[in-house]
Amino acid sequence: MSSTSARRLTLAWLALSAIAIAQLGVVSLEGRRAPTPDVAITSMAIGIALVKVRIIFREFMEVKHSPRWLRRLTDLWLVFTGAMLLGCYFVGTAFSTG
Amino acid sequence: MSAPSTGALPEPPSGSLLRKIAWHWRCDEKRELWIGWWTLVVFYNLYGLLFFVITRTQPPPQPSLDPSGIVRWFADRHHGLIYGFAIVFIVGGATAIMNATLAYTMRRMSVSRAFAYSYLVIYALAALPGMLLMGIACTVGAMRPDRDPALLCWLYDFAFLSFEGTMGVFLIGSLVWMAAVLLDENGVFPKWFGYLNLCNALTEVVVAPAWIFKEGAFAWNGAIAWWINMVVFVVYTIAFLTLIRKLILREDFGTGPLPELQTDRAPAARGLTQGAR
Amino acid sequence: MTSSADAARPQAGEGRALSQETREAGRFVPGQPDMWAFVLFESMVFAGYFTVYVIRRTRSPELFLRSQAKLSLAVGVFNTVVLLASSWSAARCVQLARARSYSSAHTHALLTMFFGSVFLVSKVLEWSREIHQGLGFTASEFFSFYYFLTGIHFLHLLIGFVALGIVVHQLRSPERRSQAIIETGATYWHTIDYLWVLIFALLYVMR
Repeated sequence: MSSTSARRLTLAWLALSAIAIAQLGVVSLEGRRAPTPDVAITSMAIGIALVKVRIIFREFMEVKHSPRWLRRLTDLWLVFTGAMLLGCYFVGTAFSTG
Repeated sequence: MSAPSTGALPEPPSGSLLRKIAWHWRCDEKRELWIGWWTLVVFYNLYGLLFFVITRTQPPPQPSLDPSGIVRWFADRHHGLIYGFAIVFIVGGATAIMNATLAYTMRRMSVSRAFAYSYLVIYALAALPGMLLMGIACTVGAMRPDRDPALLCWLYDFAFLSFEGTMGVFLIGSLVWMAAVLLDENGVFPKWFGYLNLCNALTEVVVAPAWIFKEGAFAWNGAIAWWINMVVFVVYTIAFLTLIRKLILREDFGTGPLPELQTDRAPAARGLTQGAR
Repeated sequence: MTSSADAARPQAGEGRALSQETREAGRFVPGQPDMWAFVLFESMVFAGYFTVYVIRRTRSPELFLRSQAKLSLAVGVFNTVVLLASSWSAARCVQLARARSYSSAHTHALLTMFFGSVFLVSKVLEWSREIHQGLGFTASEFFSFYYFLTGIHFLHLLIGFVALGIVVHQLRSPERRSQAIIETGATYWHTIDYLWVLIFALLYVMR
């Protein structure tokens, strides 16, 4: 059991790091032009971050072995934070005068 | 201290609230603790009323107001500032009783008495930035409405920076209480309250940018420096008021682990909680 | 620090022998539930800070973009990977302690401190470079949020070193080694990591 859980942790770390490094690609997506507000990049950045946090909760913090109330609470926080961030972003962008 | 007492207490009389209170005054061994707790409850409620409703100094106004705006601010609140802060000055001494009650919680813990004593010394200073400096500045400002606007601006900044700005006494004091709770082996408070003290201490750091910014989220009235900080502070205050009440109910005047609250409480305790409600 | 969670968790010896079904039934809260209460509360407070940032950003998107362009995404990624590595070693430490391999767990706790220190040094270097370029706390609203969020995170990281110190102290002596305290310290450390993941996305990546 200990070697599989060690391997699982290492895989989780590799996956999370790979996602972080892949986000370097954001710069190349923009190319040489001046950065402009980009709804797609922003939504993906926030969404991916929340997925990463969930992996940290479940794998590193062992929430996957925890009672249901803790699994639910952590997921609830993720949903709440996602809703607040994305909600405020979309509403704010819609009403923004630039 | 008397030996731990359980069960062999006279029953509080049935009847009017006045009779119950008189009985508690004469016979209840936890009388002083309840006086301390009620002082906390009454004071915090009064504090809220005085600052938010009567003086209307909270929520705080913008730091970016121009001199004529500041003159108008004082003029709009003339009577509220004078009478409201007069009451604050009169009841200010209650903070001594409150701080003693909080320090008592640390004396009941298994940790060194140094924690309670240092808390008392630190919080002896707390009333200054916590209400008196603002009270003095605002009443001085309100006393002569025709004062030079430049002086009123000075008083305005002084009042709000001293009140909203970082108060080192609360920061260090909260850390002292946190350390005491986390090291305590008598189970006086749950460990989460120790951690909540850390949250409260950090609010004093979060507000530090208020010295720099006159508008935005980090100004003394900002979304982060004031509004979110206020949520943390209110949660913290409700938490310790509730926990101290529980402590008094559990108190056995011993020096060992505090007994858990029994569902079939001793008659005296039951009478007290009825009174406390 | 004592914890009733000690009684609930599968003991190290049992852990190796537990069957799948027993493991399903043997769910436990990692570390003190009190620490989880604190962690979730702090996370809510940070969610509040992030929300204020997003709202302010949508009010002046061009200004925020121009300022954000001065940040180095590569350094941000490096910091993220380092902090994730520290979470990995903290989680390994907990697993090893549970399996009673205390000297390995001790090594991993020190490794966590090492990765944390790398992050600290990298962050300070990054700040001083930016300040030298004239991009200080008051340079723009974006930078106010940048220094505030990374600053308050930095402070939490410093507190994390205290938690790790307690974990190391626990692991050192056979008289201590409370699994509950080790897990509690690790839980706090992971919180700093995932808060950074969000800070990185909001300050460095979002456009």
